[in-house]
Amino acid sequence: MFEEIKKLIKAETYFFLVTPAFIWQFAFLVLPLIFVLILSLSQGQGSQLVQSFTLNNFYEIIDLSHIRIILRSIMLASTTAIASLLIAYPIAYFLALYVKRFKFFFLFLLSIPFLINLLVQVYAWFFILEKNGVINHTLMFLGVIQKPLNFLNSYFAIYLVMFHVYLPFMIMPLYSSLEKIDTKLIEASYDLGASFRTTFWRIILPLSMPGVQAGFFLVYVVSFGEYVIPSLLGGMKLFFVGTLISEYFFIGKDWHLGAAFICLSCGMLFLSALAYYWLFNKITLQSKIMR
Amino acid sequence: MELRLKKIFLPLYVGIFCIFLYLPIIILTMYSFNKGGFPAQWTGASFCWYYELFHSVEIWRAFQNSVTVAISSACLSVLLGLMLVYGAKKMRTKVSYFFYSNILVPDIAIAVGMLSLFSYFMIPLGVITLIIGHTLLGLGFTIPILKARLDELDHRLVEASLDLGASSWYTFRHVVMPFLYPAILVSTLLVMIVSFDDFVISFFCAGSSAQTLSLYVFTMIRSGISPTVNALSTIMLLISSFFVLAISLLQARLAAHDEKIS
Repeated sequence: MFEEIKKLIKAETYFFLVTPAFIWQFAFLVLPLIFVLILSLSQGQGSQLVQSFTLNNFYEIIDLSHIRIILRSIMLASTTAIASLLIAYPIAYFLALYVKRFKFFFLFLLSIPFLINLLVQVYAWFFILEKNGVINHTLMFLGVIQKPLNFLNSYFAIYLVMFHVYLPFMIMPLYSSLEKIDTKLIEASYDLGASFRTTFWRIILPLSMPGVQAGFFLVYVVSFGEYVIPSLLGGMKLFFVGTLISEYFFIGKDWHLGAAFICLSCGMLFLSALAYYWLFNKITLQSKIMR
Repeated sequence: MELRLKKIFLPLYVGIFCIFLYLPIIILTMYSFNKGGFPAQWTGASFCWYYELFHSVEIWRAFQNSVTVAISSACLSVLLGLMLVYGAKKMRTKVSYFFYSNILVPDIAIAVGMLSLFSYFMIPLGVITLIIGHTLLGLGFTIPILKARLDELDHRLVEASLDLGASSWYTFRHVVMPFLYPAILVSTLLVMIVSFDDFVISFFCAGSSAQTLSLYVFTMIRSGISPTVNALSTIMLLISSFFVLAISLLQARLAAHDEKIS
């Protein structure tokens, strides 16, 4: 008996090696997500489920104010992703193709903010945006304004900190795809008489497209559900998807409506991401046809 | 055009960007030594907030929780990741892509899902549920790193070892493990940082009993700022930077080592 079990384990070693991670993944990622879906389709108190399925939660949740919050989050995510792509590209380009000697030092400098605690970063911005923070002090010192301006609790503060936090997330994939480009291709392009602009549009950008896409979707998806930044810098007025979900789960206590809201917003996130994907493919195709 | 871009514009741009990236952090660090606390003017340097910080029982307990969760979730996710990557390699399938979703699915959806699942099965929230959540997050980081490293291993080495009569366990320990070792160290450190820094999953899965440093900072920011947060944040900053330095040094050494071999 014992020998047989031992033999079985030996024959199927690889199966046994792979299983634990998968069990973890199913039990704590897939199952919870399915559970949220079931929760959204049933009624009851807290996490209780009632056997019958209903669409009532969705009827209740789909109204103008909720849709507006989802659209606002899509807007936030799009702006963050597009702006940080535009800001980050030159930096990644510089690092990957120009910096030679201090590359290690630069990479280290950029990866610190990437891994600093999010809350610490957000908190650090308070010093700059506060009523008697750095910006107001500087502006008053220069005589531009007489009274301190209020930067906190505004879209401005949220967007600014979003860029600050998510830029490193964009730089890393861009850098790694730009680094892989064979510089001989770029030199060949110059040797054949192409200008910098042509080289960039026809060689560098198409070859870095995998990094562009990876960075864009990483930032887009992660910033869509952002909770910390809006809830600390937006006061209690500016609601986004993340903040509303926590409201449903902690304050409103209606988990079923909250679950329905999650399903609805994730659905819209998925659709918008698909739309962007389609757009990206079209752009890539266009730059190939231009040849 | 190209030369001007290289010489002037790009370095200038990167310089401005670095100021944008680091200015808030530098000012935070500066103010943590301010005697008068945060909203006040600069009133002279002092270590008083650090002193107060080290004497707070609550912060020590939060720190303990953070460390426990970080270490155990790092060990767990590296172990699970290692097993998966090694097993999947032999099965010649692309199962590892599945684990990218841990990073890509919005944190808040995972956190809420876990919270409702735990409360449905009446699993008490606390350190254990935190470890579970952070291990899941960690798998998304360890598996790509370990897989990338394992893909670089020359398979002939493994075959040679087996041909020479070594058992598969012996081969794993003396051929595969030494090769993977730096990647294992990097991913352990990375998961520890990620766990240390995670807020959303901790916020939903910690319950009221187990507080971590991130949660502590959050409640302190929310409930009116006390200058001890400055000191605490500065220390957390230092811890993260130290880990990043360790990771970068390891990776640089790894790259140098690989170059020497090839």
